[in-house]
Amino acid sequence: MLAMFSYNIKLAFNSMRRNPVMTALMVAAIAVGIGVSMTTLSVYHMMSSNPIPEKSDVLFAVTLDSWNPLRPFDDDHPERAPHQLTFHDAERLVALAAGKRQTAMFESSLIIEPLGDDDLPFEAGARVTYADFFPMFNVPFLYGNAWDKAADRAAEPVVVLTKKLNERLFGGEDSVGKTLTMDGTRFRVVGVTDTWEPTPRFYDPINGGFQEVNEMFIPYSLTRVMELKSNGSDWGWKSEDIQSFEQWLNSESVWVQYFVELDSPSARDEYVDHLNAYVNEQKRLGRFERPLNNHIYNVEEWMEYHEVVARDARVLVGLSFLFLLVCVLSTIALTLTKFVGKKAETSLRRALGASRWTIFGQQIVEVGLMGFAGGLIGLLLVTFGLQGIKYLYDSTPGLVKLDWLMVFTAIGVAVLSSTLAGLYPAWRVCSIPPAAQLKTQ
Amino acid sequence: MDIGPMVSSLLRNKTGAILVALQIAVTLAIVINSLYIIVLRVEKINRDPGMDVDNVVIAYVRGFGDDFDVVDSITNDIDLIRSIPGVRTATVSNHVPLSGSGSGTGLRTEPDETIEAVPTGRYRWSEEGLDALGITLSRGRNFLPEEVDFIMGDSDPPAPASILVTQKLADDLFGDEDALGKTVYWGSMEPSTIVGIIGRMHGSWVGWDKLDNVVIQPGKPAYTTNKYIIRTEPGMRDELMPVIENKLGESNRHRVVKSVRSLSEIAARSYRSDRGMAIILSIVITLLIGLTALVIVGLASFHVTQRTKQIGTRRALGARRIDIVQFFMLENWLITTAGAVLGIVLTVAVAYWLEVSFELQRLDWRYLPAGILILWVLSSLAVIEPARRAASVPPAVATRSI
Repeated sequence: MLAMFSYNIKLAFNSMRRNPVMTALMVAAIAVGIGVSMTTLSVYHMMSSNPIPEKSDVLFAVTLDSWNPLRPFDDDHPERAPHQLTFHDAERLVALAAGKRQTAMFESSLIIEPLGDDDLPFEAGARVTYADFFPMFNVPFLYGNAWDKAADRAAEPVVVLTKKLNERLFGGEDSVGKTLTMDGTRFRVVGVTDTWEPTPRFYDPINGGFQEVNEMFIPYSLTRVMELKSNGSDWGWKSEDIQSFEQWLNSESVWVQYFVELDSPSARDEYVDHLNAYVNEQKRLGRFERPLNNHIYNVEEWMEYHEVVARDARVLVGLSFLFLLVCVLSTIALTLTKFVGKKAETSLRRALGASRWTIFGQQIVEVGLMGFAGGLIGLLLVTFGLQGIKYLYDSTPGLVKLDWLMVFTAIGVAVLSSTLAGLYPAWRVCSIPPAAQLKTQ
Repeated sequence: MDIGPMVSSLLRNKTGAILVALQIAVTLAIVINSLYIIVLRVEKINRDPGMDVDNVVIAYVRGFGDDFDVVDSITNDIDLIRSIPGVRTATVSNHVPLSGSGSGTGLRTEPDETIEAVPTGRYRWSEEGLDALGITLSRGRNFLPEEVDFIMGDSDPPAPASILVTQKLADDLFGDEDALGKTVYWGSMEPSTIVGIIGRMHGSWVGWDKLDNVVIQPGKPAYTTNKYIIRTEPGMRDELMPVIENKLGESNRHRVVKSVRSLSEIAARSYRSDRGMAIILSIVITLLIGLTALVIVGLASFHVTQRTKQIGTRRALGARRIDIVQFFMLENWLITTAGAVLGIVLTVAVAYWLEVSFELQRLDWRYLPAGILILWVLSSLAVIEPARRAASVPPAVATRSI
């Protein structure tokens, strides 16, 4: 069997060598088809991947309908509540602690004052959040730990740096316990995260699903003390007289994101009941004038809600698979033509005792080999394609990564499509009767 | 030439012909739909923004520390920037048009919360703002210096007496009526009077269908991050960008110069995904057309080789070279046309799928004949060389046995 296979491979190479232009064209067709379709599929695969599969069904984004009594938040989806919360609702929900873990959060930025005399101050992005953020989202730590809940309550100026910022500030050494001055406040470093690049950045698709993780994390309770402003989007509906930061924090503007971790997916309804109870209580204070409309979304539902997979990416996948179809059609046409050119040889081999199946098998091995070669070259094209996309879109590395699944898919699709393309021509060839072709010569 | 025998010959060898026709059909569907998307994106990128984008520089600065006085800082910075030779003017603005970051609001013609507000982008800058962006006021007047005050970050100032609006926003608000001098109402139901109308100007979000709706309030926003819009004399921009960055950096140690960028670069970033899509699709259709052309050449060459004896016989029977060339060209044309007919059906199907699933604009039907024309020309070009080779088969071949 193995001897037969290697004999087939030898015959295949002979046949390829005899027709180098046709062979090159077929391999090129498969390679280009794989290159184009797998580049777009890889990007789509990364965009639609589950960034936290171990927990995506127990992590939920929370929305409360605190919007204008006269009209819905989103006219295109009137059933939806605003996608963010007011600062004070988020703060109170965290205090109620109805879930296993919960966090409110937003994006801000701080000026880091120079550590050495030669350094210049610079601005760095911060996620303003609670201690629960880290265990909830399985954030890995290189040094130290998250701050504790006491720091949340006491608005302690503590900071968790990302690996990248720790490298810039402290040359990558263990900086736990060191201090740095940001916006005039002295912060103590309590932890440094290890590489963490959730793709998509599921906890904040509102401000961009494929942005880099913010450079540091600080406690939410510092917002009041330091008058931290959000860099993200804020949405308002109510005309309020705002003349101070405190009034801004107490306004009806929604600009805070909220996530809760529940014990199990089935605790969902119970949690929504809790939200409804909270809102009903607020209604008595004259807020939340719309009918009860509070929803929670697990990670995958939240990605869908925000259409994290770009429409263009889906269009490209569709068009590039049509492209692959063209490549397969080319391969069938080329294979057919090539095999037809081998009628005489096939007749001779049949006359000498080769069975139909032997001939058939040999043809299939030949196209399979070409498909494999095309797949390998195609993979090379995919890496170029992904680099091109990284350059064109200035994407985060996570989005243009080629994972093993995609490598195997590419080779598999290449071999499968070329083999399928070879079936009909191979059948045509092996049905040539023995010696029929010899007569004319 | 008689088409009858050719058709019957094609039908006898139909699998090959059908495959090529199918390939041409799918090629047509991809090429036409991609070309249409490319043209729409290029048109979008090349829209007239109504600004002198090429000569505008944006500087983002942010102060820190207790000693920092934002009003002083802005006043000094603007004076400093204006004193640089080659700088035409500068202003501080709440947002930068075309940047993807902005502020939106709704305006009404009546102080009644139940009527639908007209959505619009909103900017706040000084009387220098129009000149700093190279925006032309088509009617009315600009802000007066006495109308322009500093607006602090945490405060929500009362509605200004005077505002400027774009013609598009004026039309959305007042229809055919003249908007100049009319009163509009903000969300707070406070009134403002339209004192000037801008012919055309783009707002911040290039993907928003209300990009042309802009209202401008007078003021100098003194926020955490201050955005300076600077216009240079024509052609001076690239030379002045480092100068501006250095001078700002040296003048105040309590302030970080976050970035100094040209407005063209900022706008290009906003259009990045459109440009990316256009480039990717261009590459895809180039590869596709190249591949299909190569396959046509390859197959035609192969058939010529296969039919050497037949061609020789025809030549021996009196067929001229031109007859042979015509034969191959016509055969190819028949296959291409059959593919194109099927291709039209496929193209429309793909266009329908794109329209329904992705809310893409409906395909312009004129792209169909254009695509077929391109295919005809291409496939003819592809088959010329093999056909000429066929024509050069000498009649004597017929008499030789292979």
